[in-house]
Amino acid sequence: MASPKDVLDQGGRGGPPQPPPPPADPKYAWPNPQSVLGTSVKRLDAPEKVTGRAKYTFDIKRPGMLYGRIVRSPHPHARIVSIDLSAAQRAPGVKAAIVWRDPANAERSTVMYQGDEIAAVAADSEERAIDAARLVKVEYDVLPHITLVDQALSGNAPAVFNGGNVKPGATQETGDVAAGFKQAAHVVEETYATHVITHVCLESHGAVCEWDGDHLTAWVSTQGISAAREGFASGLNIPSANVRVITQYMGGGFGSKMAPDAQGLICARLAKEAKAPVKLMLDRKEEHLATGNRPSATARVKAGVAADGMLTAFDAESWGTGGAGAAAGFPLPYIYQFPNRRRTHKDVYINTGQQRPMRAPGHPQGSFITEVLMEELADRVKMDPVEFRIKNLPPEAPNAMWRPYLLRGAKEFGWDKRHPTGDPTPGPIKTGMGVAINTWGGGGRGPSQARCEISSDGLVVVRCGTQDLGTGTRTMIAVIAADTFGLPVSAIRPEIGDTMYPISGGSGGSTTAAAVSPAVRIATVNALDALKEKVAPALGVEAATLVAAGGRIHVRDNPAKGLSWADACKLLATQPISVEGNWQPGLSSVTTSGVQFAEVAVDIETGIVKVKRVLAIQDCGLVVSRLTAESQVYGGIVGSLNFALFEDRILDRNTGQMVNPNMEWYLLAGMSDIPQIDVRLVDQPERGVVGIGEPPTVSTAAAITNAVRNAIGVTVRSLPLTPAKILRTLAERRA
Amino acid sequence: MKAFSYVNPKNEKEAIGALSSEPEKAMPLGGGQDLLARLKDYISQPDRIVNVKGALDAAVTAAPGGGLRIGAAMRMADLAGHADVARLYPAIALAAIEVGTPQIRNQGTVGGNLNQRPRCWYYRNEEFVCFKKGGNQCFSPAGENQFHAIFGGGPTFIVHPSSLAVPMVAYGATFRLAGPKGERLVPAADYFTMPTLQNVRVENVLAPDELLTHVILPAPGPVKSGHYEVRYKESHDWPIAFATVVVTMAGANVRTAKVVMGAVAPVPWRSKAAEAALVGKPLNEETAAAAADAAVRDAQPLSQNGYKIQVARTAVKRAILHAGGLTTV
Repeated sequence: MASPKDVLDQGGRGGPPQPPPPPADPKYAWPNPQSVLGTSVKRLDAPEKVTGRAKYTFDIKRPGMLYGRIVRSPHPHARIVSIDLSAAQRAPGVKAAIVWRDPANAERSTVMYQGDEIAAVAADSEERAIDAARLVKVEYDVLPHITLVDQALSGNAPAVFNGGNVKPGATQETGDVAAGFKQAAHVVEETYATHVITHVCLESHGAVCEWDGDHLTAWVSTQGISAAREGFASGLNIPSANVRVITQYMGGGFGSKMAPDAQGLICARLAKEAKAPVKLMLDRKEEHLATGNRPSATARVKAGVAADGMLTAFDAESWGTGGAGAAAGFPLPYIYQFPNRRRTHKDVYINTGQQRPMRAPGHPQGSFITEVLMEELADRVKMDPVEFRIKNLPPEAPNAMWRPYLLRGAKEFGWDKRHPTGDPTPGPIKTGMGVAINTWGGGGRGPSQARCEISSDGLVVVRCGTQDLGTGTRTMIAVIAADTFGLPVSAIRPEIGDTMYPISGGSGGSTTAAAVSPAVRIATVNALDALKEKVAPALGVEAATLVAAGGRIHVRDNPAKGLSWADACKLLATQPISVEGNWQPGLSSVTTSGVQFAEVAVDIETGIVKVKRVLAIQDCGLVVSRLTAESQVYGGIVGSLNFALFEDRILDRNTGQMVNPNMEWYLLAGMSDIPQIDVRLVDQPERGVVGIGEPPTVSTAAAITNAVRNAIGVTVRSLPLTPAKILRTLAERRA
Repeated sequence: MKAFSYVNPKNEKEAIGALSSEPEKAMPLGGGQDLLARLKDYISQPDRIVNVKGALDAAVTAAPGGGLRIGAAMRMADLAGHADVARLYPAIALAAIEVGTPQIRNQGTVGGNLNQRPRCWYYRNEEFVCFKKGGNQCFSPAGENQFHAIFGGGPTFIVHPSSLAVPMVAYGATFRLAGPKGERLVPAADYFTMPTLQNVRVENVLAPDELLTHVILPAPGPVKSGHYEVRYKESHDWPIAFATVVVTMAGANVRTAKVVMGAVAPVPWRSKAAEAALVGKPLNEETAAAAADAAVRDAQPLSQNGYKIQVARTAVKRAILHAGGLTTV
């Protein structure tokens, strides 16, 4: 998972042009031509998922299993005076009750946000656990809290956070900003802002924990089984070798599920105390309050452009909140080249749950602020937004391909039909088009290992201690193995999601494909080599002359001289092949580029925005599994549309409590709200595998906002694009 | 949730017998789309749940004089798909089909839709002990009120959550209520109550031991009706504002008009000013706009819901145009 610092370092301006990756050991090189790689293979586990046979953490049921429930603070800031478990312990069906906070310990007695964990119970039914948790008596000394960023910034706020409510950052400066503004023919000075949203994984965070002596088995809805194992070990003070984490299927993870978290450790402690397995899955309200969010971002920007359309200077003061004591960094300016630039950022703390990385941390915020600014600057110099962007891009490189993508996208989207700012058509429905670009790292790294087993019955098993967030990791593994062995994907059995398998990394930062694919390629090539060694003597040839293709192992250029896969594997008799592969550089690389175009219809009498279509052009190096890669783009776009139009964590300004911790007033697009989405994956097989999970969700919100601006002729400079905000912006123009 | 006893009455009389005259003691269960969520969130904690699905009428039958009589246990999906309802009272069918999701419409009932409790986020979150829950304040005026009432002036600023209530008022429906002392008929327009400090915990005249058993719709006669909802999302969302308009014509001009707005006030909000603006005028863009302006003239927005005035104005205008067959959007 990329840390905020990594994100700022690597992503902000697209990164420096990358040298081509060092060549891989030629025997592991990606096959050329490819047989299964890059094709559209149906998701292997789709039948399990649609029939309900797939077991998610939420579905795990163990003999004698209890249900855990956490007692949480209703107050955004309070000192816990006392915790009395006795009434809860006497409640029907309760088998364990623990305190998580310690009123006697100054460092562990203060809750900093609504939803902060305090105590927990386990009972023989979920309902009884919920009822019993309400019987835990917590006495609070309620303390002053901060809800609003403006309040924290004003200096009138109570001193809530050690070291200050605002953490100023150093000024970053490149070039000569004053000189840059002297070169400017036009200057735009505006404030842009994005809001806080939460991850809203369909499957909530949580675990099922079962002890056997001092060994723990934990089924966890996690993006990182290995990291979760380490988290349990350190949090419970047991050797990590005693912990087994299993995640067979999970209902989504967007960066917030990288560790056991409090609920995982509480679940394990309840199981220990109750001497029985415990399931502790959070409910939707807990998800919104306590499992992370995307920090807000605001920037007061002054930017200059020369008469010829070249950017000259950028000067910004930015801030954002990541909640109670957490940072809120984001790259700014985003991608486009301002030769002279200065930025000062500060983190603002308020009493809410802490931020966690959320799908492309920082990038959607940086993209929104920069891309809307770019639209305003383009109008000042009376240039087409696509042309204006192309003029100010970093140099073209394999990982910086925005120029050709913008040109292609403009053509395919019908950009020539775009009217200038403000739809002149009479009537209340105004349409418009917008564009925005993205980048992300998406590289892989080791350790990432896979083991390939081939048995005499011909079955190929590939095991890897990775996990599938729902993106199709199993299918990707099967595609790679099938291509290596010249077999259909149905002949491959991928096994993942268990720390008993060879170790791989967490699924964050779009690293899974680029970390797992090379390991699987190397393991399967090694396995094929071992099989060739068995087959060669039987055919009376050198192993090096053999190839695997079309379900056979045969002499290169002579398919007749060979064995079927089944007959070849029979030679293994009682000695199955079992070999490993470890990630090496050369089969993957870093950084993608993409562009997105959006068309919207805005009803200026109601303020309702309807997104009509989105076109995405996106690269991710070698496309391994085409359908699942395209699905990543669809999902990223839908997520970003939600960011643009619907999602909003709304806090009551007076009490600091969230008013919409549900999926009724925390809005998410339904089927009818999702536009036509056209995805164009660009193949760059020579670059090896690059992750694609994050980049597609960076730029849709900005493209939609720019399309709204093009439609209604006024600029909305903050998200979400609510009817209230659209109508207010239109009214301000009329006034 | 709090433990409760469960009663499964066979008929209306048994159902009424299982209720209680004490408020919030026993609660009728229709499709459960509102009540179950309130139970789980500890917003309502009755001692007894009375399942009325098998006890109440779920059919549409002919009412004397050419109208229809709709059983309260009828599911929203059945109402939305009922040919006679769609033919005689198209605004009701339109309102029904816009409610929730297919799942909700397959579960939810007519009675449940009309009697559901407010969707106000302060009411629905346990932390906020508001007027509706026995507290001494409404949190919305000083808080987050972007979806709250622009008419009524308090003391609570909920908007009535029922989509059916608005066309029911517009078509002049009567509700049949049955209780221990027998039945009574209450016009829809009188059924829903504006909040006062005395009755702030309820939204209508239904006594705790009464059931709304039927909606009785008068024969519509030669009316034109229109309905328009403005929602943020197209799927599963509550309207920001909506309106039903029912007019009769004298030649090319409006003879009588009913203009009722939803999601703008604690009750379905009838605008006599808008009605007056229509009477004697032809149905066209100009009169629709004038009537819509009149409909919102007396709005009293809170700090964040001023935009709802424009949304409500648009809903009224478009409902009028819809009634006139002049719909453009």
